[in-house]
Order: sequence, then C-alpha cells, then structure tokens
Amino acid sequence: MSEQHQNLAIIGHVDHGKSTLVGRLLYETGSVPEHVIEQHREEAEEKGKGGFEFAYVMDNLAEERERGVTIDIAHQEFSTDAYDFTIVDCPGHRDFVKNMITGASQADNAVLVVAADDGVAPQTQEHVFLARTLGIDELIIGINKMDIVDYKEDTYNEVVEEVTQLLKQVQFNTEDASFIPISAFEGDNIAEASDNTGWYDGEILLEALNDLPEPEPPTDAPLRLPIQDVYTISGIGTVPVGRIETGVMNIGDNVSFQPSDVGGEVKTIEMHHEEVPKAEPGDNVGFNVRGIGKDDIRRGDVCGPADDPPSVAETFQAQVVVMQHPSVITAGYTPVFHAHTSQVACTIESIDKKMDPASGEVAEENPDFIQSGDAAVVTIRPQKPLSIEPSSEIPELGSFAIRDMGQTIAAGKVLEVNEK
Amino acid sequence: MGKVAAKIKVMPNSPEIDLDALQERLESSLPEGAKINGVEREEVAFGLVALYPTVIVPDGSGGTETVEENFTGVEGVESVGVENVGRI
Repeated sequence: MSEQHQNLAIIGHVDHGKSTLVGRLLYETGSVPEHVIEQHREEAEEKGKGGFEFAYVMDNLAEERERGVTIDIAHQEFSTDAYDFTIVDCPGHRDFVKNMITGASQADNAVLVVAADDGVAPQTQEHVFLARTLGIDELIIGINKMDIVDYKEDTYNEVVEEVTQLLKQVQFNTEDASFIPISAFEGDNIAEASDNTGWYDGEILLEALNDLPEPEPPTDAPLRLPIQDVYTISGIGTVPVGRIETGVMNIGDNVSFQPSDVGGEVKTIEMHHEEVPKAEPGDNVGFNVRGIGKDDIRRGDVCGPADDPPSVAETFQAQVVVMQHPSVITAGYTPVFHAHTSQVACTIESIDKKMDPASGEVAEENPDFIQSGDAAVVTIRPQKPLSIEPSSEIPELGSFAIRDMGQTIAAGKVLEVNEK
Repeated sequence: MGKVAAKIKVMPNSPEIDLDALQERLESSLPEGAKINGVEREEVAFGLVALYPTVIVPDGSGGTETVEENFTGVEGVESVGVENVGRI
C-alpha cells in the first residue's frame, strides 16, 4: 500500500468502455475481493468458459454493488506503488454535470476513454471540458478498443490527432496530456506492455497513473467556506453550517461573510458533534461567530478571513461550453448559475470570443450568438450579489453550472472577477 | 443505460427532529425509478445530524433533479445537496 491518495475520474462517451476499464483496473491491481473472483471463476467453469473470469467480474460488479445494503460510491479503489486511487466513474448524461461541479469530491486527475473505432463523440467533448472546469491537472487519454481496429497505428494516430484538437479547443495544455493505445477488454497496455502494439513504446496505463504528480491539498489557499444552512441553536445562537473548500478555520479567527458583508470572531467550531480548535478542507462544520445573527447571513454566503475576504463579483469573465440549448444564446440571456451553495440569476452581458473547434484559436471576436457545442469567453453580470473566485486562484470556488428550463445547458470556469 | 449512485446530503431543519421518521418520509417521497440504497448519518455540530441517503437513479435525462426537488419538499428538511455521483 502507498500513502498518497488520488481521486481519479474516469470520463468519456457512454459506449467507449469506461466501465470495462474500471473493471480492468480493479482486476489487474488485485482490488476485486477474492470471493467475487472465486464466485465468477466457478460460474465461468460451469458454463465451460474457464479462465475468462474478467467478463464475469465486469457483468457482476455493478449488480453486486447495487445489491449491497449501502453503496459507498467512493469505494472503487486500487493502488499502485505511488498512490491509492479512488475511482469516480462519471455519469454519462449531461444532467449530472451540475452535481459534479457543486459536489464534494473533486477529482485530482482523470483518464479519458476514447474508443478507437468511434473517435471523439459528443460526450467526449463535454467530459473534456468538464475535466478542465473541475480543475483536473493531468489527463491520461486511453485510446480504447484497439483490438477492434486490429491494433492499427494509423487509426490510433488519427484519434490522437482528433483528441488533441479537442483539447486545444478548450485550452487544455496538451503537454499535460498523455496518450496510450489500450484495450480494456483484452488487457492491452494496462498492466503489461502489449505485443499487439509493437509500434508503441510509451508508458502503459498503470505506469502513467503511478507517475502522476502528487495532488496538493488546498490548505495553502485562504479560507473559503460556502454556507449551506444557517440555524439558531438554543444556548449557542446562530450556527452557520457548511463544508470547508479551501484553507483552515481556527477558533479566534476574524472572519467575513460575503456577499452579506458581515463578520466577527469565531467562538466555537464543531465537527462530528465535538468541539475542535480548527477545521480543514473537506470538513463539515458548524460554528458560531460573535455578533452574527440568523438574519445577517444566508445560504450562498462564503466565509473567509476578514483580511482576505471572499470576492464579490460586479461582473466576471468566464470560459463556458454550451452543452445543450434548443436555440441560440445571445447577450442579455439570463439563466440561473449554480456555484458552490449559491444559485443566482446572471445575465450574459457580452459574448467576447468564440473558439474554433479545429484550431483552438479565437474564431470570432464579439460573435452575435453561441450555440450547443460552442466554447466561448463571456462576460457575466450577477443579478444579485454573488461570491465567486477566479479559477486560477481558487479552483474550488471558480466553476459553475448554468441551468435553464430544467436542464444543465452549459458549464464554465471563472477567468477574472471584476469586484464590486 | 447504466445506473448512477448519488450520495445526497439532507440537513434537517432542527436538532430536535425525529430522524427515523424523516428517513421514512424521504423514502416515500422518491420519484418512480429511483430507490434509496442505505442511509448514513453524520453528526455535524450542536446536535445537528445530517442524513446521507444513497439514491440510485438511471444515468439519463433529468439526473438527480426530481429526487432533489422531492426531498426539498419533505417536512423537516432544511436543505438538500448532492455530495457525489458515480456510475455503479
């Protein structure tokens, strides 16, 4: 076992083999419980398919998990020499994008699965952008199903080129991306270099995972604690509750709530119903601040240090990708933005640039409109005060989902905040 | 179409609430096609206890939206938020 931990997102289009790859990684690293392997081995032998447990493991893992009394989603784990990985197999449908942006577990790095016989598909684009929005540092791209294309180098190169273009479109640094020809089903280049791809001499998947850079915990960033709820507790007073995204909160700290613009000294912090002297990223806490009443603060406020308070945007510039919209988006459009615990109607004040999918360069300055599939830079004006941060400074508070008509229509990351 | 497990954090509106009864109300508020697969509890602070039902929904249109809306409407619920999602 290793000591370092990484959250690894598995992303890609729905039929490109994500689940098979998850199964293969668990299988090759000995992370599937012995009784499961044993059970499938017996079943396989009964059916005259001895020695082919993998397919059975795959078919039954999902059922196994669904049957369990509780499913710990964050419990598909495997280890390499350097890291313990927790796998998140990202949902395929775009309506889950909001959850991935406002949810708790941020992925450190990601494996993008692209089927060699299909190339870049709609969800490939959405997921690549999502990876960028979520602040994924490094992307490992598994060109999967190489067995189906007879392990042809030409086909591999074509798909690599296609994906490279896509990365450029969303301005993902292609130097932080590595490509590997794999077959999750056959096991090529996962745990061992495959003889079927003699033309490839790069890292195999488990090596690439092992060589990922260490994730840096966000304790160096200033305190940012989006408020989820505010209670009045008898004998204590006003208690805001939320999860610390970045930084550290100590008793005695002088804090500020934005955009409500009130503050005071932290008197007590409780976590797991016990008083603690300080709390760190990921901790769910309730706390009490001297002089703050229940009506002074609300859900959507962000708590930070009084001398480095959370930013409140008059306007902000962001990069967005439109995932689905029945018509076109023009300046003046005012959907609801979901960022951390906040939901605020915001107007797209101007569409500043549209990116060319082929080159990744600016295709058009100040276009009249953008539509599904477009990546663009836009300027946004919140209709009510909103605390949000540039993604380059505090990625945990720098992304948002845009919703309208009951759907997630776009996702974005904040480039620059023009403060009030 | 696959299925997605969503761990949802449900905060009660007071520390005095009967959590067993709240859990039952959440269960009966589920839309068709969704099911709860276990509920964890976490003591947060000052007597407040968060419920974390894991809800299984199809990996399809609408995501966890209806579940969130229905949970939000349940008596005794202060707030509802999806903690994490993953295909099973």
